[in-house]
Amino acid sequence: LEPHLEALRRELPAPSPAVLSVLLALLAVAITFLIWRFVLGRRSSRKAVLLLGLCDAGKTLLFARLLTGRYRHTQTSITDSSAVYRVSKDKSANVTLIDLPGHESLRLQFLERFKAAARAIVFVVDSVAFQREVKDVAEFLYQVLVDSTVLKNAPALLIACNKQDVTMAKSAKLIQQQLEKELNTLRVTRSAAPTSLDGSTTGGPAQLGKKGKDFDFSQLPMKVEFVECSARGSKGEEGDADFEGLEKWLAKIA
Amino acid sequence: MLDFFTIFSKGGLVLWCFQGVRGPAAAATAPVNALIRSVLLQERGGNNSFTHEALTLKYKLDNQFVLVFVVGFQKILTLTYVDKLIDDVHKEFRDKYRNEFQQKGALGLLNGTFDFKDDFMRLLRDAEESSKVRAPTVMKTFEQSLKSQKTVKCMIETRGEKPKEKVKNKKNKGSKKEGTEAVAAPGKASASDKQPSAAGEKEELTKDEILQKNREEFFKRHMKAGEKSRSPKPEAQKEKGKKPRVWDLGNSNAKVLDYSNSATNGSTEACPVEEFDPDIALGDRNREPGRLYDLEYESDDEAEEEKIIQNPSKPSAKKGGLGGMFGMLKGLVGSKSLTREDMDPVLEKMKDHLIAKNVAAEIAVQLCESVAKKLEGKVMGTFTTVTSTVKQALQEALVQILQPQRRVDVLRDVMDAQRHRRPYVVTFCGVNGVGKSTNLAKISFWLIENGFSVLIAACDTFRAGAVEQLRTHTRRLNALHPPESHGGRTMVQLYEKGYGKDAAGIAMEAISYARNQGFDVVLVDTAGRMQDNAPLMTALAKLIAVNAPDLVLFVGEALVGNEAVDQLVKFNKALADHSMAQTPRLIDGIVLTKFDTIDDKVGAAISMTYITSKPIVFVGT
Repeated sequence: LEPHLEALRRELPAPSPAVLSVLLALLAVAITFLIWRFVLGRRSSRKAVLLLGLCDAGKTLLFARLLTGRYRHTQTSITDSSAVYRVSKDKSANVTLIDLPGHESLRLQFLERFKAAARAIVFVVDSVAFQREVKDVAEFLYQVLVDSTVLKNAPALLIACNKQDVTMAKSAKLIQQQLEKELNTLRVTRSAAPTSLDGSTTGGPAQLGKKGKDFDFSQLPMKVEFVECSARGSKGEEGDADFEGLEKWLAKIA
Repeated sequence: MLDFFTIFSKGGLVLWCFQGVRGPAAAATAPVNALIRSVLLQERGGNNSFTHEALTLKYKLDNQFVLVFVVGFQKILTLTYVDKLIDDVHKEFRDKYRNEFQQKGALGLLNGTFDFKDDFMRLLRDAEESSKVRAPTVMKTFEQSLKSQKTVKCMIETRGEKPKEKVKNKKNKGSKKEGTEAVAAPGKASASDKQPSAAGEKEELTKDEILQKNREEFFKRHMKAGEKSRSPKPEAQKEKGKKPRVWDLGNSNAKVLDYSNSATNGSTEACPVEEFDPDIALGDRNREPGRLYDLEYESDDEAEEEKIIQNPSKPSAKKGGLGGMFGMLKGLVGSKSLTREDMDPVLEKMKDHLIAKNVAAEIAVQLCESVAKKLEGKVMGTFTTVTSTVKQALQEALVQILQPQRRVDVLRDVMDAQRHRRPYVVTFCGVNGVGKSTNLAKISFWLIENGFSVLIAACDTFRAGAVEQLRTHTRRLNALHPPESHGGRTMVQLYEKGYGKDAAGIAMEAISYARNQGFDVVLVDTAGRMQDNAPLMTALAKLIAVNAPDLVLFVGEALVGNEAVDQLVKFNKALADHSMAQTPRLIDGIVLTKFDTIDDKVGAAISMTYITSKPIVFVGT
C-alpha cells in the first residue's frame, strides 16, 4: 500500500492554500448541517399524542379531564383541539395532546394531517357499545395500522377501553381478543377489495402481522398496550376520572 | 319559550347552556348532535334552520373563534325574534369573552368559566318585547282621506259633458291638491305630482286636455324653484341607461348583469343559474353563433376526488391605482377577516367551475352557500389570499362529502351472512341503459375470485334478451372458474323463469333456492325504469320491501348531469312511500358506471353522494 500512496502523492499537484481553505470551509458547513439535521431529528419533532376513536367514544371528555381534571359537557367535535399536557411530578417533559374528531367523514382527513407528528396514539374504544360496533372499530384501527407513515414511525399505541364505569362494559382482555379476531378477517377482505380510484393500495403491500399465522397485536412493529379507564369517573360528574393507567402510560412515553 | 340555547366550540366542548324547559340536561345534546351530523358535516349549511322530531333548531357559526350557537324551540311555534336573538347573543358573547378565545386555543376554552346567564336573560327579554304585537294602526278618519278633497261633481261620470267643465274641475282639484299637499314634506312632491295624473286618468282625456295638463305641470314645476325631486328621477333613469356595460366576465358577478325585474319574483334567486348564458353576455359579434368558448380560470380544477392538487393560485390581479395595490398588500399580510363581498366573486367562479365539471347546478349552489357560511368572518393567515382560502375550504368540503359515512366492506358482510347460513342478497336498480347487467357480471366475477358462490336472479322479465345476456355471462364465468377447481360446486348459477312474470316473486323464489343450495351471494338484476313511471316504481318498491335485501345498490352512469339529482330523489321517495315498515329500506350504496367515458368531468359522483349521503360502493369503467 505504501508505494501506491507515495505514487499518488507525487501525482497530485500541491494544492494551493486558497483551494484548501475553500474545501475546508465547505466541509465545515456540511458537517454543521448534518449535525443540525441530526439534532433536530433526535429531538423528534414528533411530540404529539393523538386521541383517535369512533364517534361518542369519549375522546373530548378524556381530553378535558386530562388537562383540567373537571367534567365538561361535550358535543360531536367538528375540528381538532390541541393543547400542551404537562406530565406532572418530576419530569418536566410535556407532550401535545391532540383530540381529533371521530366522525366518519372527518377522521381520515385529520389523521392525514397529524399522523406525521405523532409520537404516540391513544385509540379510545367505547367498551359498552363495543359488541355492536366491533366491525367499525376494527376497520378504523386497521386503517390506522396500515398507514405507511404510521408503519414507518411506529408510534406507541395504547388502546383505552373507555366507559368502564357502566356495568355492561367489556373488559380489556375481551376487547383485545375480539379485535384480534376481527383484524385477522379484515386482513383478508381488505386486501381483496377492488382497487380504489386514487391508486392508493388499501393494504396491498402493507401486510398486517405475519402471514400464515393468526393476527396478534405482538406482531406489530409498535408497542401496543391495553388499558381500562373511565373519563366520567365512578363517582359521577363531580368526582375524578379514574385513568391512572392512562396517565402512567403517558408519563412513560413522554 | 325556548327549549334550549347552547354555545359550544367546534372542538366539542360545551361552553354554556341554557335550559328553558324542565328536563334532563342531556336532552339538548341529541338534537344538537343530529344537527351537526346532518347539516354541518354534510355541507348543507345553506339555510340556517333544521328540524329534528318536534324541535326546530336554528344555528349560527362564528368562524373567527370557531364557535357554534344553537337555539332550539318547538316546531309548532313560530318565534320571530329568534334570528335577532342569536345575532345579539353572538356579538355579546364574543365581546365579553374575547380574551379567553385569544389565549392559546383549547386551554382558554377549557379553563374559562362562562357565566353568561344574566346577559342572556336580558337579551331574551329584549328580544321578546321587541317582537310583541304592536297596537293596530288607527284608521284614518274620513276628513283625513284624500277622497274628501274631491268634489262630488267631478266624481260623477256622465258621457257627453262639456269638456271645459271637466278641465276646470281638474284644475280645481289639481290646485286644491297642491294646496293640501304643500304642507307635506318636499320629498313627497313627486308622489303628489303623480296624484293629479293618476286621478286624472279616471276621466276621459282628450288630446287638448292632456296638453293643458302638461302645460300646467310645466308651469307648476317652474314655480317651485326649490324642488328638485322630479329632476333626479329622470336623471337617475338616464344614468342607468348610460352605465357602461362590463364585458369581462371574470371581474363581475351575475348580479351586475342581471337586468331582470327582481320585484316580480320577490327574490333574485328565482332565475336559475343555467339561464345565465355566457354567449349572450359576452356578445362578441365576430364569433360564429354556435361556438362556445371555455371559460378560462386561473387555477386548475379541483373537483377531482382522486387527486388533491396543490396548485398555487396567483392572487387575482386588481386593476386600479395605488389604492388597489395597497389593498392587495394589506390583504396578503396580517389578519383580515373575510366578508361576503370578498368571497362572492371567487365563489361565483368556483360554482361555474363545478358546473362545468358536471356537478348538478343546485348542488353546486348549495355547496358554495355552505362554504360561504363556514368562511364568513374567518381571519385569514398571513400571505393567504381569498382565493386560496376559499379553494382550500371547498376542497375540504368536497373530500368530506365523498368520504363514506358508514363502513363499506362487502366481503366482510358476505362472510357474516355465511356464518349465519343465509345468502347475502344484493339488488341492482336504476334507469334504463346505465349498465346494471354488465356491472352485475363484473361484481360476480370479483366475488368468485374471492371464493364465494353466486346465484344470479334474472328479475328483468321485460327487456328482450335480458335472460340470455345473463346466461351468456354465467357460462363464461363458469368457464373461467370450473367446478373442479372449487371442490365440485358451480360458482355461478342463473335462476330465471322466462319473461313476463312478476319480478318480486322470482326474487323470493331465488333467495329460498339459494338458501337451500347453500349459495353465498344472490345478485338480483331488475329491469331499468324511469323515475317518473309510477307503476314501475311501485313494482320495484314492492320487490325491495318484500324480499328485504341486504344491500340495495343504485346504478348510475357518470355521464348524467342534473338528472342524477332527480333520479335519486324520486327513487328514494318511491322506496320510502311504498314500504310498510317503520324504517323503510332506502338506497344503501351507489354504483357509478361508465367512469372511463368522462375524462375529468367527475361531478356526477359529487351530486349523487351529496343528495343521498350514501357511499359509492363500486365504480365501473
